[in-house]
Amino acid sequence: MIGTIIAYFATAQTPDLITIKSGKYRVGKFDRLDSPTRNVTLKAFQIAKYETTNDQFEAFVKATGYVTDAEKYHNAMVFEPGLKEFRWIRDESAYWRFPNGKSRGGITDKMTHPVTSISFHDGLEYCKWAGFRLPSLNEWEVACRAGTKTEYFFGDDGKLIGKYANIWHGRNHLKPDTTDGFMLTAPVGSFLPNQLGLYDMYGNVFEFCEGKLPSDKKSGKKHSRGGSWWCSPNSCCFFNSVDIGSVSEKASFSNQGFRVAKSLS
Amino acid sequence: MKKFISLLFIFSVVPNLFAQDDQIPKLSPASVKYREYREAISEPVYGLAKVKALVKKIKADKEENHRMPQGEYDALPFNEKFTYNMIHGEDATQNCDVMMGVVNEEKKIFGYTPDAFGGEVMWSDRQQDFFKNNRAKVIPLVRSTIMLRQRVGVNFKELVTSYNLVELIPDLVKVYNIKKKDHDILTVLMILMKEGNYPEFIKSASYVKLYGENSNYKGNLDATPANQKLIISRAMAFYKTKVK
Repeated sequence: MIGTIIAYFATAQTPDLITIKSGKYRVGKFDRLDSPTRNVTLKAFQIAKYETTNDQFEAFVKATGYVTDAEKYHNAMVFEPGLKEFRWIRDESAYWRFPNGKSRGGITDKMTHPVTSISFHDGLEYCKWAGFRLPSLNEWEVACRAGTKTEYFFGDDGKLIGKYANIWHGRNHLKPDTTDGFMLTAPVGSFLPNQLGLYDMYGNVFEFCEGKLPSDKKSGKKHSRGGSWWCSPNSCCFFNSVDIGSVSEKASFSNQGFRVAKSLS
Repeated sequence: MKKFISLLFIFSVVPNLFAQDDQIPKLSPASVKYREYREAISEPVYGLAKVKALVKKIKADKEENHRMPQGEYDALPFNEKFTYNMIHGEDATQNCDVMMGVVNEEKKIFGYTPDAFGGEVMWSDRQQDFFKNNRAKVIPLVRSTIMLRQRVGVNFKELVTSYNLVELIPDLVKVYNIKKKDHDILTVLMILMKEGNYPEFIKSASYVKLYGENSNYKGNLDATPANQKLIISRAMAFYKTKVK
């Protein structure tokens, strides 16, 4: 309850920001072709404490009349229990107000949840309007790691993930899973933060980031990090500081969102 | 696309791996090359040049699908329609990658294969219907293509697993044995055994590691000669139970 109240106030149009100092940081993992262990030098930046919420996105839409890609292309990919692993349904009625399609309910009671069913491009447009940008892949990782070198910012024991992240705990996605209280998204800030006070770096929604990977061949490929409510230990276990997801540029999934960042001059 | 380590294995090994975190290893060119190899499609020969030219002319619809006009599609002879469907997924998809490339990938046998067409396009309904409704005619074309090319591209692997083409097990084994390089062929064999609920496989340690309760999509087996041999012998035994 308290978490929900805190999160509600945090969804005011100026988001809470955490400052990351400039410096040299270690990112990656030794066995990853696309993101091996390496040092990166970053300028100081700020990153939102919470993922961008439906409330915030609604303010953007109200102010600008913006129409999302899912509304234009009717191509949003939605979820319902019963689907095989990695299967999503294309639902022409789905967009950010009805992330899993009109037949599966809207967001009127979920304004403090992260906005979803938006594309990378939609995220960029929001950022432009709000005076922010998306974090780079490296910035996201540095913020998430909070100085740690382990798989997770809480160490290497993946069994602790449930304290820090809204994920899927079921063995598969054939039946609903509400083990942690949420089947789909949760209000931002419902789980424990990392050492820098950043919430939901793992789980809840995959967060779009700017940047390319060495293996990217097509310009349309975009990346996101941190895993989502859909990710389970048995399937897409991307709720860690290492993995980097890929989606097509106009993809709008109901587990895909973002948090904003800002350069400090 | 996916490989298998049990979670238990991850949790026990990862701390040791990170002991090496201060070393920045050079990327193995062999791993990079193998990743590309895993994701490559192979092409049937039937009317290939003609079909490729037709594909080039296809324009995207408003949903970014690239579908050949129905009349043109219907007019293709069966073998050329096969080629078209094998080299060209008509519908745009938005699938996310579920596995990042890893070092020493060429030494591993994964539990799953990469998505055909890089996960960016998929077979449309009519293409899926073609494969589904013409199984008996498609199998010989697949067989002749993979034997001719001595290669089972990622598109062929997806076809075999999606439509459970167990009849092709001996052919897959033959192609694998030519170079013993494409370990995803072994993955295909294991998926066929899994989907077929083959008891000898279901009760094996490999199954538990790759598809069991604590498995995940990153899991894998070492591509040792012993593992290669075991998977093949099980698959051939499975084949004998399916195809009399």
